[in-house]
Amino acid sequence: MDVKKTFRARVDALLVMSSKEQAKSRGIRQSMSDLHIWAGLLVGWILYSMFLTGTTAYFREEITRYMRPELVAAVPPPAAQVVPRVLESIRTQSPVTTQVSITLPTERKPFASAFWRDPQAPGRGFHNGVFDAQTGQALQVRATQGGDFFYAFHFNFHYMSAIWGRWIAGFCAMFMLVAIISGVITHKKIFTDFFTFRWSKGQRSWLDAHAGLSVLGLPFHFMITWSGLITLMVMYMPFGLQALPSQADRTAVNSEIRFFMPAGKPSGELAELRPLAPLVQQAAQRWGVDNVGAVQINNPGDAAARVVIVRQQAQRISTTPHYIMFDGVSGEMLQSKDSSGPAATTQGVLYGLHLGRFADIVTRWLYFLVSLAGTVMVGTGLVLWTVKRRARLPDSEKPYFGFRVVERLNIAAIAGLSVSMTSFFWFNRLLPLDMVQRAAWEIHGFFIVWAGTLIWAMVRPAKRAWMELFWLAAILLALLPVLNVFTTDRHLLHSLRQSDWLFVGFDLTMLVFAALHAYLAVRTARHRPRAKSARRKGVATRQDAVSLDRLTPGERT
Amino acid sequence: MSGPALSWLTHGAVLLFSLLGFACLALAMIRHQEDLFGAALRPHATRCVRVAGWLLLLLALGLAVSGLGWSFGLTAYSGHTSVAAGLVFIMLVVLNRRRGR
Amino acid sequence: MIERLLGFRAWGQRWQGLASRIVAAVLGGYVLAALFSLAALALPVARSEAVLWGMQLSFLAYAGTVVWVFAVHSAWRAWAGILLVVVALLPFALCVWRAGGVL
Repeated sequence: MDVKKTFRARVDALLVMSSKEQAKSRGIRQSMSDLHIWAGLLVGWILYSMFLTGTTAYFREEITRYMRPELVAAVPPPAAQVVPRVLESIRTQSPVTTQVSITLPTERKPFASAFWRDPQAPGRGFHNGVFDAQTGQALQVRATQGGDFFYAFHFNFHYMSAIWGRWIAGFCAMFMLVAIISGVITHKKIFTDFFTFRWSKGQRSWLDAHAGLSVLGLPFHFMITWSGLITLMVMYMPFGLQALPSQADRTAVNSEIRFFMPAGKPSGELAELRPLAPLVQQAAQRWGVDNVGAVQINNPGDAAARVVIVRQQAQRISTTPHYIMFDGVSGEMLQSKDSSGPAATTQGVLYGLHLGRFADIVTRWLYFLVSLAGTVMVGTGLVLWTVKRRARLPDSEKPYFGFRVVERLNIAAIAGLSVSMTSFFWFNRLLPLDMVQRAAWEIHGFFIVWAGTLIWAMVRPAKRAWMELFWLAAILLALLPVLNVFTTDRHLLHSLRQSDWLFVGFDLTMLVFAALHAYLAVRTARHRPRAKSARRKGVATRQDAVSLDRLTPGERT
Repeated sequence: MSGPALSWLTHGAVLLFSLLGFACLALAMIRHQEDLFGAALRPHATRCVRVAGWLLLLLALGLAVSGLGWSFGLTAYSGHTSVAAGLVFIMLVVLNRRRGR
Repeated sequence: MIERLLGFRAWGQRWQGLASRIVAAVLGGYVLAALFSLAALALPVARSEAVLWGMQLSFLAYAGTVVWVFAVHSAWRAWAGILLVVVALLPFALCVWRAGGVL
C-alpha cells in the first residue's frame, strides 16, 4: 500500500508539473493565436482579393488572348526578323521618337509588343501597341487590359495612385508575414496534424481546413509573401539606398536587379541606325535562339544611338538583367552584363519565383493550384472568425455590430469577388468594340458589380446572400462559354476542332469553377449553424467551455 | 524522346511518386490505420510504410532534378508535393466520409 | 461616479498594454528594420550587395520583431528589447550614414 501511495504521489506530481508547463506554453500559443487572428482579420479581405487576382495573374497572357478573340496566333518568325519590321512600323508612325522598346513574341504571347516615347503622346509621353510578328504591322484589337488588369490590381489596386496601392499591398503583406510566423508558432503539431480533418464539426472543421491548407502551401506562402515585399523593397525600405552619396551610386545598385537604360542626350547629329538583324543574331548566338527577350533602341537616327538587347526570362528563374549594349551606328559591342552578385541574384530568384514567368505549362498549373489553395486558406480564415464567434453569441439572430460588419464584408469579399471577376469577362464580350474608353469601362463594370454584391450582402440575410451570390457566380461562369458562342466564333466546339488548347482550357476551367461555386451554394444551403444545439445541451463540463473559448489547432477534446 | 514529351513524362512521374509517397506517410499514422483498416498495423509494418513513403518522395525529387535541372526541378517538385499532399488529404476525407464517420 | 471612473481606469490599464505593444510592433519594428537595413552596409561585402542584403533581410527582422513583441510577458519588456537592439545597431547605422555608405 505504501508503494501504491508513493507511486500515485509521484504520478500526481508529474501531472501538476506538466500542466504548469502546459499553462506556460499555452500562454505563448494563446498570444500567438490572438496575434494571428487579429493580424489576419484586419487585412483579410484585401489579402483575399490580392491572392485571387494574383492567382489569376499566373495566366495573365492567356487571359489577355482570350479577351482578344479576333487575334489569331501564328508561329512567329525568329527574333532577328521581327525586330526590324516592328521598328520600321513604329518609326513610320512616330519619326521623332527617342526611345523604343520592343518585346519579342513568346509562346504565351505570340505577338510583338512595344512602347515608345513620343513627345506628342498624351499622359507620360509614351505610346504602346501590339504588332503582328510576321509583318510588323500594328494590330487592330479591341481595347482591353485583359489579364493585365488582374496583375495590376494585385499590387496597385485601382482608383488610387500606384504609390498608395503599393503601400497598402505592402502593409497587408507584412501582416501576412506576421500571420504566417504566428500561425506556425501557435500550431503545435503542425506537420503531424496535417492529415487531420474533422468533417462537419462546425468550427473545428473550418479550423482544420484553414490549418491544412496553410500547411500544404507553407513554403509557397512564405516565399510569395517575402518575395512580394522584396519586389517593392526600394519603396518600402529605401534607407540603405539613401545612405549612398550620389544618384549614380543608387542607379548602379538598382541596375543590379532591374534593367534600366534611359536614353542619353542625343548628339544632335543625324546618323543612320545600323541594321538590327545581325545584332539580334549575335545575341541569339550568345544566349540561344529563343532567348532574346526585348530590344531597346535609344536615340534611333542619332549619332549617339544605342541598341540594348535584353535576355528572355523563360530560360532561367532569376530576373536579374542580362543584356548586351551595342553602338547604334557602328554596331560595336560596348558593354554586356551576364551575372550579378549573390544578394542581387537572391532578389532576382525570389522575384522570379514570385512571378513564375519561367514556368512551363505544367509548373504554371501547379503555381495556379497552390496559389488557389492559398486563396481558399485566406477565405476559410475569414469565415472561421464568424463561425467561432457565432457559437458564443447570446442571441444568434441579433449579433453585435462588429460581427455583422465582418460577416457582410466576408460575403462581398469572397462570393462577391467571384461574381465581379466573371462579370469582367462578360463585359469584355458584351461591350461594343468601338466604345470610347472601352478598356476603362470593362474595369468600371468590374467595380460596379463588386459594389453591387456588397449592397446585396448588406440587405439580404447573411446565409441567403452567400447562397445567392454563389449561385450567381456559378451561373455566370457556366454561361460564359455559351456567351462565347454568340459573341465570337472561337467557342468551345470550334476550339476543340482546331486544337486551340488555350481557348479549350479557358472554357473548361470556367465550367469547373462553375461547378465549384454550385457545390458551395448547395453546401451553404444545407448548412445548419451548430451553436444552437451546443447551447441547448448546455456546456457539459468546464473542459468544454475552456476548449470552446481557446481552441487552438492540434488540440482535440 | 522529344523535349516536350520528356518534360510531360518527368512531371507525371514526379507527381505519381509524390502521391504514392504521401499516401504511404499517411498510412504510417496510427490514426489513419485505425480509420481505414479498423486496427493499427504492427509496428514493423508501420515503420516499413513510413520509410517507403520518404524514399518515394526522395525518388520524386531525384526525377524532378534530373529531368528539369536543379532550379526548375526544385520549383516543380515543390509544386508537385503540395498538390500531391492535398490530393491524399482529400482522399482521406472522402474515404472517411464513406465509412460514415 | 467614482466607480465609473475607476472602472474606466481599469479598462484603460487593461488596453494600455495592448496599445503599447501595437505601437512597439508597428512603429518600433519599422524603425528597427530600417536601422537594420542601414547597418547592413557595414558588412564586409561590395556596397551594392550590402545594400541589397540589408533591404531583403529587413522584412524578416520586422516580422520577427512584431512576433517577439507579442510573445514576451509585458509591454515594458517589448519596448526594452527593441530599444536594446536599436542601441546596438545605431553606431553602425550612424557611421554608414555619415560616411556616405562606405565604412
